[in-house]
Amino acid sequence: MFGFNKKEEQTPDWFIEATATRDRWFNFLEKLEQKLQDLCQESLPVLQETLQTDTDLYKRQFGLMQSGILGQIENIREKAYETHDNKINHYYADLTRHIEPSSPFYKAIYDLKYECSDRYHKTFDEKLQYWRNKINNISEGNLEEKYQNIVDEFEGLKDKFNCSQCGANIPITKMYFITAYLTCPSCQTQNTFDPSSKAKGLEQLGRELAQERTAHLKENHNSEKNKERELYHEAHNLKLSYNHQTDKKTVAQKEQQIAELEKQRQESIANAPKLYEIYLKAFYSEWSTLVPDLTEHNNKRLQNDLERI
Amino acid sequence: MSENQKPLSFIEKMKLKAQNQTNYGGITDIKTASMATRDCPNCGAGRAKQDGLTNCGYCGFEFMAIKLTDGLHIKKEDNSK
Repeated sequence: MFGFNKKEEQTPDWFIEATATRDRWFNFLEKLEQKLQDLCQESLPVLQETLQTDTDLYKRQFGLMQSGILGQIENIREKAYETHDNKINHYYADLTRHIEPSSPFYKAIYDLKYECSDRYHKTFDEKLQYWRNKINNISEGNLEEKYQNIVDEFEGLKDKFNCSQCGANIPITKMYFITAYLTCPSCQTQNTFDPSSKAKGLEQLGRELAQERTAHLKENHNSEKNKERELYHEAHNLKLSYNHQTDKKTVAQKEQQIAELEKQRQESIANAPKLYEIYLKAFYSEWSTLVPDLTEHNNKRLQNDLERI
Repeated sequence: MSENQKPLSFIEKMKLKAQNQTNYGGITDIKTASMATRDCPNCGAGRAKQDGLTNCGYCGFEFMAIKLTDGLHIKKEDNSK
């Protein structure tokens, strides 16, 4: 079959076909990447504009469009995934099944397969992730301003309300973000205070703003986690490099380097949860400062999160 | 082909669709802060702090058929006795 068992010096047709398959796969991914780039580059300004002009309180029009674009990106990802599975993985697996491991083409087929896989899992996936993050991270970017608006509004209506029963002034003592019963200081009647739609967003806004203000601490934790991975790979590569080494001195030297890297890696493993704890504490305390009513609730959440580290 | 006859691009179609789609629950109206009282529809009395929130302190009219639990602003003590 396919002339696999023929002993010939020149490159067999099936190998030329296998190389062409790799080239076709590269071309296919390039086209998908181009499509992805066109889609995202065209949609980014439109999404940004929609977010600014959307009059809906929850920006649902923007949300619909954003999920539509993310859906398109997902389609592109699925297409690449399925094609890689059907046309590449299966194809090369079938080929290797018919070749003697001693054949010079055996390794060459594996190399082709890995080239295809790397092109997909490294280059293509990275680009996909890059664009997906761009679409996901579109934000109005003026959280501080929004928060200030709520504070200003609160300052403006602190003493504006009177009891509907006796007319005495009812002071608004804090930034309410849910409907509350306020007792009239004069006649003790329970008045229902309904905060504005803007103020009702305070709970969620507080969270986002606290996240924004503590983002650098989260980044510290993330880079510590990445550092662990990098050290691991570095040590792994070193290990591979002396596999066939017979010179004892070189081996000892490399082993020492690996031990040093492992030490750093263990430090990093120990350090990461500490950094995460610092972030969590800062984040919840910031949130509680912005929305003092949530202090008790946030403390419970902090305890839960800390237990889960 | 003139400018206004140009077919809409995919993104423009998507934008149009998002604009025309109605949301579940309708349009949200943006309200300003307000204060109101709920008088007893039975006897006309207002609800006083010490009488609790669930029943009218004068005629016993049931404002709420639930038992209040501790929340941000409402506490268990707000149940009428």
